[in-house]
Amino acid sequence: MFWYLVKRLLASAPTLIAVLTVVFVIVRIIPGDPALTVLGDQATPAALAALRTKLGIDKPLHLQYVDFMLSALQGDLGRSLVSGRPVINEVTAVLPHTLDLTISSLLLGSAIGIPLGIWAALRRNRLADYVIRIVSLIGLSFPVFVSGIFLLLVFALQYRIFPVIGTSDLANLGDRAWKLVLPTLTLGLVMVAYITRVTRSAMLQVLSEDYVRTARAKGVPARLVITRHALRNALIPVVTVVGLYLGINIGNSVLTEIVFNRPGLGKVIVTALNQRDYAMLQGLMVIYCFLIVVTNLLTDLTYGLIDPRVKQS
Amino acid sequence: MTTPATQRASTDQSVLDRPVLAIDDLTIEFRVRGQWHAAVRDLSLSVGRNETLALVGESGCGKSITALSVMGLVPKPQGRVAKGRIDVDGQDIVRLDEARLEKIRGNRVAMIFQEPMTSLNPVLTIGFQVAEALRVHRGLDAAAADAEALRVLEEVKIPSAARRFHDHPHQFSGGMRQRVMIAMAIACKPALLLADEPTTALDVTIQAQVLGLLDDLKTAYGMAMLFITHNLGVVATIADRVAVMYAGEVVEIASVHAIFARPAHPYTEGLFRAIPRIDRSEQTLSAIAGQVPSIDRMPGGCRFAARCPLREPACDASSPRLEEIAPGHAVRCHVRGPARRVGMGAGGGVGG
Amino acid sequence: MSRGFLGRLIDVFGANKTSWVGLVLFAAICVVALLAPWIAGSDPLEQSIIDKLQPPSATHWFGTDEFGRDVYARLVWGARISLIVSISAITIALVVGGTIGLVSGYIGGRFDMLVMQAMDVLLSFPALILGLIIVALLGPSLHNLVIAISLTALAPFARIARAPTLIVKERQFVEAGRALGYSHARIVFVHVLPNILAEILVMASLWMATAVRVEASLSFIGLGVRPPTPTWGGMIRDGFENILDAPWLSIYPGLAILTLIFSLNMLGDGLRDATDPKLRGE
Ligand SMILES: Nc1ncnc2c1ncn2[C@@H]1O[C@H](COP(=O)(O)OP(=O)(O)OP(=O)(O)O)[C@@H](O)[C@H]1O
Ligand SMILES: [Mg+2]
Repeated sequence: MFWYLVKRLLASAPTLIAVLTVVFVIVRIIPGDPALTVLGDQATPAALAALRTKLGIDKPLHLQYVDFMLSALQGDLGRSLVSGRPVINEVTAVLPHTLDLTISSLLLGSAIGIPLGIWAALRRNRLADYVIRIVSLIGLSFPVFVSGIFLLLVFALQYRIFPVIGTSDLANLGDRAWKLVLPTLTLGLVMVAYITRVTRSAMLQVLSEDYVRTARAKGVPARLVITRHALRNALIPVVTVVGLYLGINIGNSVLTEIVFNRPGLGKVIVTALNQRDYAMLQGLMVIYCFLIVVTNLLTDLTYGLIDPRVKQS
Repeated sequence: MTTPATQRASTDQSVLDRPVLAIDDLTIEFRVRGQWHAAVRDLSLSVGRNETLALVGESGCGKSITALSVMGLVPKPQGRVAKGRIDVDGQDIVRLDEARLEKIRGNRVAMIFQEPMTSLNPVLTIGFQVAEALRVHRGLDAAAADAEALRVLEEVKIPSAARRFHDHPHQFSGGMRQRVMIAMAIACKPALLLADEPTTALDVTIQAQVLGLLDDLKTAYGMAMLFITHNLGVVATIADRVAVMYAGEVVEIASVHAIFARPAHPYTEGLFRAIPRIDRSEQTLSAIAGQVPSIDRMPGGCRFAARCPLREPACDASSPRLEEIAPGHAVRCHVRGPARRVGMGAGGGVGG
Repeated sequence: MSRGFLGRLIDVFGANKTSWVGLVLFAAICVVALLAPWIAGSDPLEQSIIDKLQPPSATHWFGTDEFGRDVYARLVWGARISLIVSISAITIALVVGGTIGLVSGYIGGRFDMLVMQAMDVLLSFPALILGLIIVALLGPSLHNLVIAISLTALAPFARIARAPTLIVKERQFVEAGRALGYSHARIVFVHVLPNILAEILVMASLWMATAVRVEASLSFIGLGVRPPTPTWGGMIRDGFENILDAPWLSIYPGLAILTLIFSLNMLGDGLRDATDPKLRGE
């Protein structure tokens, strides 16, 4: 298992490097002079030149690239052009909010989506199945800012059950959880829909496998056939999809954070884009890629737990 | 006057004489494009204690689905048992609910499937999969079930079974997986074992080993065995009696000697012409021209007529019945049935 | 083969009610967008301060916004932006991505590996984040929106076009085609393409749903087509500021976006069920 993980980590290195390179290129093709953006039109040429030297953007491109890669690999992501604080600090300040949201919606999605998917598969082509399929398709069709606003309208404005403002006190766990409810529902809705559909089709696939028939032929009670024999196999594709979806979730959290006025990675990205804070943007993308690599690793780890065939190959 | 003692003795005797499996007038149907069609029709057969009945026939003639129906595993909702009885130990499987069936499956009746590569659960250890039946039916705790499972794995001759107990199916070869399947099936010492082409997927030497193993186990446990195959070479090795199936019907049933010595049905004769040689185990029964008709295109008269060298006008007119031509030897054929035999017998002057 | 494809497509639609419902719903939205000048009733840009923030009524079916503009008229016109952006973006992604995949798969070897590695990197960014960055870099405009969204959908089409190319490439008729002296391009476009059209169609409708969502999301963030042009996402953005007094400003465009995406998802999902042999059947 350990060597398997090491191997996976090494295997993701080329992707990581490729992504870093893309980030570097993207940030360099931003139109406009970052120094000018920061200091404004009135800046003196001397001040501009000084800032360029400070940012390292007066060097030739290939040296900039080497600098960027080396510091990125050491975890140094530079400083924000606007606030002057290290990117990594800005990120770690809001990361817990984003992780809260991502993890809680993932849990919600699995807790509801997996049983619902199993149920639909067992009721294939009956009323329950059709209803679940249509409802999950609707859930999947909600852009998160629309579902977020609808939830906000109903539960925060109409019935005033949950708070409208989402900025929470990280140290106060009760407050933190309470303010997480509506955002989690918003993101979780899509997640539930997604997991339900994947679980359903994976279960349908697995239920027709020979080994499920073998289990029934052994006299294993129907409930155990489903949980012990079918579900564990069906979870393999579900894990893949959930892993992929965590990335999408980070994209969706941008919108959720705006609707519920929550701090988080998404809002930092939007702010950086609006302010053309190019150093910040670069650092954020690196962090983002890092998160993706970590997610992939976690996915692989889960695979190893579920599927004994993975460890060998 | 019968004393209670003699009464008990006589019922014991009748239980012993009663076949373990008695299928009577069984029809299994599948729905094809909204219409129910019979895949197995009016099938009757029985298998006794310590007896092996081979079920032979081309691909698609309904062998597997017959065995599945004995397990109560006809796939729903597209399939159903339309009529007939399937008595196992005197209990009609067809009329049992799912909970009762679960108590019988893997316990009194067990099945070995055609596909050893896909019939084991890839995420569970083989030890667990064998022990599971024991836990379910014998109510053993994990340790006791494991110990017994290990004994069974050794009985089916898995090399270093103790060491491999916690291995997963992908770590085993096809032959070994089939042994694991056999271990699973016999773990609860079933009265009836349904073996659906257990050796087809294996190469010839392994095939012989597995056959030998099954035969030994049958004798050791006194099991009744329904052995499905389309390989007549295998039939000669393992069977006591043979039922030949064609297009969902039994067309001939007899002892293995009678079938090999005096095959009566033209289809059986065709099968013999197509006997696979020992060095070519995967050979199909291609010596008979044509194919089994699909279940939604069954002809009206004799189902074999279109491919039969002895075809007569009567064959297309009505379907023949399965009738005895000698004690324990029945055939379903207008031309070779008892009606003509009587005529032949009278003309030939058998008496004397 | 091409007849077989058309025939199959008709079968597919016939066999699957879901895809029909999706198609009809989508077509209806297209018709609304086409007929906008005639059915919108009033000018979507016409402001009227006296009428501002009116709730839905007989004169203003869906109410008015903070400038007194008719929400219904803006919704009808807004359909155009959603459709123009998503249809052109997916068409571009399909043509460019598909070509990349076909060519890359057909050439194979190192080149293929490199191209697919690049596509993987592209694919590892979620559509919204990628769209966000590209539009932010290029500046918000209809033009740039289309480019950004088509870039986000490039990789999946490249992948989908490539996989069957590899298989089909090995098949007999390609060999036969070579023997007959057909050009590579002809082999790809005449023999390979028809085999994957059904799959591409499924992808196209599902990714169009994503395109609509990304466009709406970007407009909501403020990176969409510039105001005062009515866009659904932009309308929600404006409405969100008045959510306490005028919830209809957010509700109606929200429902409109939902309906459009839902119709495309139904279409794609139904088509996939009908074309995937594993999911078909009783
Ligand atoms: N799930 C099913 N749905 C519809 N028809 C089926 C199904 N299973 C079996 N059949 C029908 O029943 C017939 C008999 O199938 P069965 O699997 O019993 O054949 P078989 O004799 O075991 O063949 P083989 O030697 O290939 O295993 C088939 O021809 C098929 O038409
Ligand atoms: Mg079979």
